[in-house]
Amino acid sequence: MISLLDFSLIFMVLAFIPCIYRVIKGPTIPDRVVALDAMTTVIIVMLGAYSYDKGSAFFMDVALVLAVISFVGTVTISKYLDEGVVL
Amino acid sequence: MSEVSISSMIMNLLSDIVLLIGLTFVFLGMLGLIRLPDVYNRLHTTAKIGTVGAFGVMLSILMRAGFTPIGVKAIAVGLFLLLTAPIAAHMITRAAHRHGVGLCKESIIDEYGKTYKGSKK
Repeated sequence: MISLLDFSLIFMVLAFIPCIYRVIKGPTIPDRVVALDAMTTVIIVMLGAYSYDKGSAFFMDVALVLAVISFVGTVTISKYLDEGVVL
Repeated sequence: MSEVSISSMIMNLLSDIVLLIGLTFVFLGMLGLIRLPDVYNRLHTTAKIGTVGAFGVMLSILMRAGFTPIGVKAIAVGLFLLLTAPIAAHMITRAAHRHGVGLCKESIIDEYGKTYKGSKK
């Protein structure tokens, strides 16, 4: 019997497909940034479910660091698009 | 059946319900990412993946694991995403509008464009 967290891992792998489609096809730069942001969130949720599945707390640290990096990256790209400079 | 096993059974059931709510929101967000016509409409759905979807899954992990290191770190990640995903979505929307990405042709009003162009003069 497959548990619900295993099912959520499979579901998250399938949720990559729309993000990759939008990264490849998206007509403008903000489209691609949005798709990459959604992809990072999916990876974070996957790491959380995998960490509970394996009973190891270290994957959750990876998820926290990835969340911080994703937020800083999105803010940096939006500043660059808006004003033309990063800082 | 003793008291402890009943309470843990109820907690497992609640955790499953919250996990299903989170997965439903992730599914709806991915559907919107494919189907919607515009950058702003797509941002509207993908912000839901960051807030409700990820926070639901992390809350479900906290309910299953209790206040162990895994559960506390999971709810920390969930709260961080709940705080920062709307800020990131707002900033990228504002940057896209100022960068000149147009709205889709079905949209009928553009309040921010009017005020932005009015303030630039």
